Amino acid sequence: MPPWSEFQQFIISGLALGGVYALSGVGLVVLYRATGVLYLAFGAVGAMGALLAWQVQQDGWPGWASWILCIVFGALVTLAYGVVFGPPLAGRDPLVRAVATLGLLLILVGAMDVIWTESGGAVRSISLPTDNGGFSLGNIQVTWTQVIALGLGVVLTVGTGAFLRYTKLGTAMRAMANDRVITATLGVPVRRVEAAAWFGCGVLAGLAGLLLADLVQLDATTLTFLVISSLAAALIGQLRSITVTFVAALVVGLVHDLLTPISALTNYRDMTPFVLAAIALLWVSRRRQVMTRSREEG
Amino acid sequence: MADPVTVTTSDSAAAAVAAGRRPLLRRPDKPVQLSVTTVLVLFVLFALPSLMNGYYTGYMTLAAIYSVVTLGLGLLVGRVGLYSLGQGAVVQIGAWTGARLLYGTAQPFPIVVIEAGLVTMLIGMAIGLPALRMRGLYLALITLMFAGAITVVLATVNFPNGGGGFTGYNGSAVHIPPIRRPSIAGTDPAYFRFAVVVAIIMFALVYAHLRLRPGRAWAAIRQSEPAALAAGINIWFYKLWAFALASFITGVAGAVLAAQEHYLYSINFTTQDSIILLAVVLMGGVYSLWGAVIAALLLELVPGWLQSLGLSYAWLTILFGVGVLQVITTAPAGIADQFPKDMKRLGRLLWRLARRPAAGAAGAAGAAGGETT
Amino acid sequence: MAQAYFNCVNANGGINGHPIKYYIETEQTNASQIASEAKQLAQTDHVVGIIGNTSIIECTVDHSYWQSLGYYIIDSGIAPECYSTSNSAAVNMGPRYSSDGAVQYALAQHVSKVVFDQSNVPGTTYIAAGPAALAAAAHVPITQDTTNVPISDANSVALQLVDQAGKDGAVVLNFTPPDALVILQAAQKLNIENNVKLWACSTPCNTDFLAQSLGSKWNDKIFVNAELTPPDDTTTPTMNLYKAILSQYGKNVSGGIGSFSQMGFTEAELMVKALESVTGSYTVASVNAAIKGLTNVNTGMLCQAWSYGSYSMHIPNNEDYTVTADNGKMVLAPNGGCTQISTVDPQIAQYVSLAGRASLDSTSNAGGS
Repeated sequence: MPPWSEFQQFIISGLALGGVYALSGVGLVVLYRATGVLYLAFGAVGAMGALLAWQVQQDGWPGWASWILCIVFGALVTLAYGVVFGPPLAGRDPLVRAVATLGLLLILVGAMDVIWTESGGAVRSISLPTDNGGFSLGNIQVTWTQVIALGLGVVLTVGTGAFLRYTKLGTAMRAMANDRVITATLGVPVRRVEAAAWFGCGVLAGLAGLLLADLVQLDATTLTFLVISSLAAALIGQLRSITVTFVAALVVGLVHDLLTPISALTNYRDMTPFVLAAIALLWVSRRRQVMTRSREEG
Repeated sequence: MADPVTVTTSDSAAAAVAAGRRPLLRRPDKPVQLSVTTVLVLFVLFALPSLMNGYYTGYMTLAAIYSVVTLGLGLLVGRVGLYSLGQGAVVQIGAWTGARLLYGTAQPFPIVVIEAGLVTMLIGMAIGLPALRMRGLYLALITLMFAGAITVVLATVNFPNGGGGFTGYNGSAVHIPPIRRPSIAGTDPAYFRFAVVVAIIMFALVYAHLRLRPGRAWAAIRQSEPAALAAGINIWFYKLWAFALASFITGVAGAVLAAQEHYLYSINFTTQDSIILLAVVLMGGVYSLWGAVIAALLLELVPGWLQSLGLSYAWLTILFGVGVLQVITTAPAGIADQFPKDMKRLGRLLWRLARRPAAGAAGAAGAAGGETT
Repeated sequence: MAQAYFNCVNANGGINGHPIKYYIETEQTNASQIASEAKQLAQTDHVVGIIGNTSIIECTVDHSYWQSLGYYIIDSGIAPECYSTSNSAAVNMGPRYSSDGAVQYALAQHVSKVVFDQSNVPGTTYIAAGPAALAAAAHVPITQDTTNVPISDANSVALQLVDQAGKDGAVVLNFTPPDALVILQAAQKLNIENNVKLWACSTPCNTDFLAQSLGSKWNDKIFVNAELTPPDDTTTPTMNLYKAILSQYGKNVSGGIGSFSQMGFTEAELMVKALESVTGSYTVASVNAAIKGLTNVNTGMLCQAWSYGSYSMHIPNNEDYTVTADNGKMVLAPNGGCTQISTVDPQIAQYVSLAGRASLDSTSNAGGS
């Protein structure tokens, strides 16, 4: 077994990775609680936004303009999807609505492949000014970008929980995710609330996409399917508790990186999110059937 | 080919009893459709191989293989309501097992295929045993988790390439031997026929299930689980059976795939594949066996055709995404259901237009105002 | 890039008046699909020669098929079969011998340890055998790692590599540019890039894009094995021709100036030379006999003269440069001129025993026109 000092640095990098998973995972759960839809295209939207930002930077745009473009793109695509496909699918099973977002995912993945094809040894990389500063922890450097990612995860966890519980708009969103028809009869402007939820979704997806493209890699496939690893954290939180999702994401990141110096397991460490999620889910369901009625889970 | 059976709560007990006594081999419900299917199958088996060039033979063989995979997924989604997001990983298990046995033993090819199917079935059941305690979205997501884990394991352990030991992987090989094909079906056209025969057998197996008790149990479960429970159907058992059947046939398909490819690499199997598989199955139609065939053609033949036109595969990915959205929002039964209806409508329209000169104004009014579905 | 070269040739009269038609098939690394495309080229398109293949597994899948039809391929090989069969000869060195070159450069800087990390794509043990032999002969310990790609967590990879290499060690990478970049950037962001003596990389890293993305902090810190002559420093007639064709006919060539387009240029150059020597009709037999007959061709892009010949295996490019990053470009490193890949690697030893070491004969004709 390697010495403790070696593990120490992986704790820090593991927390940074956990921050990455937390950003997507918390985002997914927040959206699920607000709209009732598991937005599997979250990563794809962010990836395309980040690629757009890269593209306009190549064409000479200043950095801040490209980031705004990325966020606006995320917001617009998500809003368009929510407004067009939200109402017709509103009464359907959450499973069906999640599969529908897979349709959006495929469209975006295909579009990214057409516009920014992978072949030919193209190297794309996006960097943020916060990459250059930071502070030392042990003998490694933590960049401000990683701090921002982790901080954003915390803000989302604390802030959205409070938002959904205490504000009028948040309560309306939760009601809509539960039962749209009854909420409408109560006089809540469902279309507007829905649009607000999707718009918020989209801003988050664009922002997360930008941060993840910087922290992970500006690669369409990687960023799109990062959502599956983040989904593991969301599943451990049973798609309900944002706090549990956040903590689970950090744990997944920690375990993943702590396995790195263990030579027998290091090549399998990419399995960590999936194994932990499977264990957690099976543990939760060990005594009772996890019955999901169509409009119940929220 | 088989109609979706609707079972209401009050009738289910009586229907189950009555249905149990219907024989498997009875006069077919739709003789015309059956004879058309038979003619098509005979054509594909005997005439098609000589009409295709080397390029398309490969793609059509892949289509035949994947028609079994789409059949399995269609069975789960359409008949039982289980959305599996990890069927790509099941194919990998079947392919791995088939390759290992083909390299490592001298057993006859059909035996290896069946063994691969059985191993895959056991693994599928092992996963299904705990997983089927969940329903709906959670079940779909846990299949995704298992698929992710299996993909990582196979990427690390690698597919067999003729080496020894349990994994059969020799990393330092400078010449990798190809996976063998059956001695009677070594050439590409012959192997195409072999793949089609295997597919027909698998379709027959599923068809038999659908006609007998499991099929009716699945229909009851899909309609309403509490009602099926009340009718005395052991839901968990029949779901596990569906899982086992789907895993078996997908494992068989994987083994046949291994010999078609001759060389297997973990980079051939990605997470995206499982998602695209679900997309084409939805587009093809989950309620009909023809849907599986259409899905497989979309998945394997159309890309080959696009390739020959010089178009990128990415356009097809976009089309599949649009297809998923369309199917889910408007046409839950997919192309297999929609196409005959559209053809009928087109036929009626043409018939009316042809009769218009004789019928005059009345006919025109009918054609204009009468198109409802 | 080969297409661009052929376009230029066709614009200037073709081969003795005959234009070249170049069929390109792209694939998704699927063995069945690759085999289908091979059949398309041979049976439907009736091509007379095959050049320019750059897929990870194509040599493995197709070499028997090509052999049965009598094709002798000129490629930019990656799979082991591109270098170990009688009917494939590459203009590049491929991952194993390029990694050898990178490790050799590191060993020449007197490092105390080598850590070799490669992407987990087919053939890792085969590739690792070369560096393992070199390190063993130099009595330097070597650690072999593989990393799943695309990389989603570069921090842990960078940390592990630096830990394993130590202060006087070298980290040698064998990845495609995006993944290599992400590891190097992670090391820089973690502020650990100076905790090892040397960073080295096999030839895929040899692109100006990588140098630009890395920035000036990596000047003279990353050493990349270059299988072909660095274009930025060189102004020979052939290099000028390469740059001219790239700018005039090569608008669609991705990657711009760099190894990949240079390989395409060289392959096309060799093909044209072979075609020009064909008398009579152009058939599979005549064209491939001409290809096999290519001997001691000075391509203007390699350290050595390039030959095909009738050997059971081919590694005609076995002498390389080393380049380093310099403010957004890759330039020749100190002591980075033409260096032979050592015969400590058993495959190199086998080829040298068959064909000897070619050298550049300045009196032979320069390739291309």
